[in-house]
Amino acid sequence: MALTRRTFLRGAGAAGATVRIGLPPLEAMFNSHGTAYAAGKEAIPIPSRFVLWFNGNGIPERYWIPAETGPNYDLTPCLAPLAPFRNDVHIITGLDNPASRLPGPGNDHHRSMSGLMSGTPFTGRGAGGPSIDQLIAAKIGGGTRFRSLQVGVCQESHGESIHRNMSWSGYERALPPELLPHNLFDRIFGVKEPSWVGRKQSVLDAVRDEFKDLSGGLGKQDKARLEDHLASVRDLERAIVSLPPDYAKVEEPELGGDVKDYPRVAKLQTDLLVHALASGQTRVASYMLTKCQSLVRLPWLGYTTLRHHDYTHTNSESPRAQRIMRDICRWHVEEFSYFVAKLKAVREGDGTLFDHCTLLYVHEHAEANIHKNNGLVAIVAGDRRKLVTGTHTKATGTMGDLYLAVANGAAGASIDAFPTAGRKLEGVLV
Amino acid sequence: MRRLLILFAAAALVSPAAIRRLTHSQYNNTVRDLLGDQTLPADNFPPEDFVHGFKNQASAQDIPPVLAEAYDSAAERLARNAFQGGQDANNLIPCKPRNAGDSACAAQFIRAFGRRALRHPLTDRELQRYQTLLLKEARRTGLFVGGAQAVVEAMLQSPKFLFRFDGPAARLSYFLWDTMPDGLLFQAEESGALSTREGIKRAVRRLLDHPNAKESLDQFVGQWLRFDLALSAVKDRALYPQFTPELAISMTEETRRLIADNVWNGRNFMDVFTANYSFLSSDLAALYKLPAPSTEFSRVEFPADSGRAGVVGQGTFLTLTSKPGDTSPTVRGYYVREQFLCQQVPDPPPGTNSNLPLVTQERPQTNRERLKVHVANATCAGCHALMDPIGLGFEKYDAIGRYREKQTILFFPDRRAKDQTPAKVTVDLDTSGMVSGTRDSSFSSPKGLGEILARSEECQSCMVKQLFRYAFGRMEGVGDRDTIGKGLEVFRGSQFRYKDLLAYMAEAVTLQEGGN
Repeated sequence: MALTRRTFLRGAGAAGATVRIGLPPLEAMFNSHGTAYAAGKEAIPIPSRFVLWFNGNGIPERYWIPAETGPNYDLTPCLAPLAPFRNDVHIITGLDNPASRLPGPGNDHHRSMSGLMSGTPFTGRGAGGPSIDQLIAAKIGGGTRFRSLQVGVCQESHGESIHRNMSWSGYERALPPELLPHNLFDRIFGVKEPSWVGRKQSVLDAVRDEFKDLSGGLGKQDKARLEDHLASVRDLERAIVSLPPDYAKVEEPELGGDVKDYPRVAKLQTDLLVHALASGQTRVASYMLTKCQSLVRLPWLGYTTLRHHDYTHTNSESPRAQRIMRDICRWHVEEFSYFVAKLKAVREGDGTLFDHCTLLYVHEHAEANIHKNNGLVAIVAGDRRKLVTGTHTKATGTMGDLYLAVANGAAGASIDAFPTAGRKLEGVLV
Repeated sequence: MRRLLILFAAAALVSPAAIRRLTHSQYNNTVRDLLGDQTLPADNFPPEDFVHGFKNQASAQDIPPVLAEAYDSAAERLARNAFQGGQDANNLIPCKPRNAGDSACAAQFIRAFGRRALRHPLTDRELQRYQTLLLKEARRTGLFVGGAQAVVEAMLQSPKFLFRFDGPAARLSYFLWDTMPDGLLFQAEESGALSTREGIKRAVRRLLDHPNAKESLDQFVGQWLRFDLALSAVKDRALYPQFTPELAISMTEETRRLIADNVWNGRNFMDVFTANYSFLSSDLAALYKLPAPSTEFSRVEFPADSGRAGVVGQGTFLTLTSKPGDTSPTVRGYYVREQFLCQQVPDPPPGTNSNLPLVTQERPQTNRERLKVHVANATCAGCHALMDPIGLGFEKYDAIGRYREKQTILFFPDRRAKDQTPAKVTVDLDTSGMVSGTRDSSFSSPKGLGEILARSEECQSCMVKQLFRYAFGRMEGVGDRDTIGKGLEVFRGSQFRYKDLLAYMAEAVTLQEGGN
């Protein structure tokens, strides 16, 4: 089934079109079903959040996958940065991405990416359906200022839509990530004068009105395209008319700076995302550390002659190439570990923000050089009352099975089906 | 309103293909001409995708939320700049408002500006809508320009501005100028001149003589030949220390000049494949081992015995089709098929192991030897037979376009070794190539392939198809056979003068010839 963005918005009910939220402090949140305000303070459950974290290219399996399963596994060199949090994470290996092997256009990177995110084959231009984060956002994102946020860090890729984007609202409908900390800050925390909001509202009213002249004489495809544009304008309006919360903890990132100093950019983006989650502006996000088929250079790791993807295919079986990939993948985990630490530093209810999160860390491929799309690795982290953590499991199942389990069992999104899922993956939920 | 509806209905009837959105470059040019703004706001928009080889294909032109936000903040900034300090520096307001609530002046401004921004005469309903907005904001700010600013901000986000529900004037100018129509062109549309072939021909001649047409052609060429891939190319620094971003820019400038020189001087366009001259910077001349040009990018003739000729002998092609550390005969063959012959080579089937045999010091193989695995493997052989034999004809031109008589392979010692001098092994190169499916197509240098392409009917017809895809924003379909066939006749009849082909395509776009 090809879900479009519009179907989603309809699915999200009135929320898409009419909700105007003022300041959304946590007390004013919708309850976790997104349907009504909770009555009294004590009745409000703290909402669950979901973040999908993506790393481009594959891994060197020998340096990533623990040899032992169960709670007493040894952290491998790539996973070492998670040492302080080993009781908070669940290493899952052996997952399959069957949609990447269906016949169709594209190379292995295109196909793996589309299959991984949406469970559908690559269309030649993009993913063939909504990505899991968007399916979840459609269920739980309705009551917040942003239905979902897309955050990105590294910019270099082969540059097709499927390389650059991990979130898809529907068939070939990419939701590009925000890559610059300053822009992301402005979107989420930029403080505006009340008169600004007033003008914006009048302007966007007029823009919305313009669509009314355009229904006649248009083909189906064109109508769909305009409805999508209108939906984007409504999202924009929703974000604009609700002033950002009075949330003093966020420091504005400097304008400029080295935008290719990716370890720095990653931390700035992570900080902003944590603040956005903490201040209740969104419940769902995707985080694209590196692009699909990433071409990033890695000077901070000391590797400057080639780019990420080149290293995965240049004499890749040699010990030197394997060590380079080890260091790259350890850096991915390092940034993820920073995210975990930041979430745990925010107090929320009787625990921390991390306790109300479901984090899912995925990779484009298993072994990088051969574009292996079975035996994939994932890290699940977050709410220990719902998620099994502190162990390594060799699973038998698909990425889709894992999505179904965490979406329903931890993220609070009731999703019946995902194209590559047959059942909820066992051993993931408490 | 009736007129507008007829316009839209006509667009829908004649062209069932999707409506097009302004490309980023059209956005930049349009706000320049509309508001006098030179800040190129679209350079910060989310990047555009290449589909069917171009960034202007209708099927890729959605407006997701991030783009809507980018349009919104650009519109806000542009509107603010237009009336900076409460002044109307670009004379957008055609009257002197008596006060903030001067509704007659508001109507005059909205009609005049809206005609150009939304590219059609406004209906009463539209006038009403924008007048309400203007007066409301004028009241709020106490300034007439405060209201005018809101109108500009809103119009720049209207679907009628962002999408192209264009009449003939805008269809013509967005193709030939990559920007909105000027006053004369709008007039020609209103007077009905653009409803006749003669009138269109006259307008086309005028537009082709304007500098905008040159920039617009550059935009097409840069996308068709994928300058972006050369500009973002990365080369192994240990092997190609002289490859810098500046050199890559020189390469694309060389290619741009070769084609612009050909087109605007009315030469035979097929000469761009065979030209035994080029336009070089001193860096490029050094790379090609030629005497430095008299001034940067002036014309340099190649020696008679040079194997270098035309676009396929240039750094742009040779670099962007290579890997960081080596040439790729496969990619070079692929590019020739797709870009110059308009043939689509299928992607490898799922799960293909795309590794070639490892080159070791004990077994220093040439690419010709390594690529033999493609022939031996039945899964690979079918498609690779289309590509590899073309690229192998280029093996004497390395990954940054330098000539090499033999190939020197470097082997770097382990990082821990005391002596870090790489070992060198030199191997002989055999550059016999051929274009399978084309008769008498053996060649052994770029010049050889250039001659084959220049006389190939498939290549000539491909030149027409590429321009069609760019002009119409979509892939040609069966219904477009006549448009393309006639285009080829015109092109050939003019001794392959590209200006004639541009003029032909401009007419076709204006009249929306060719259905899908």
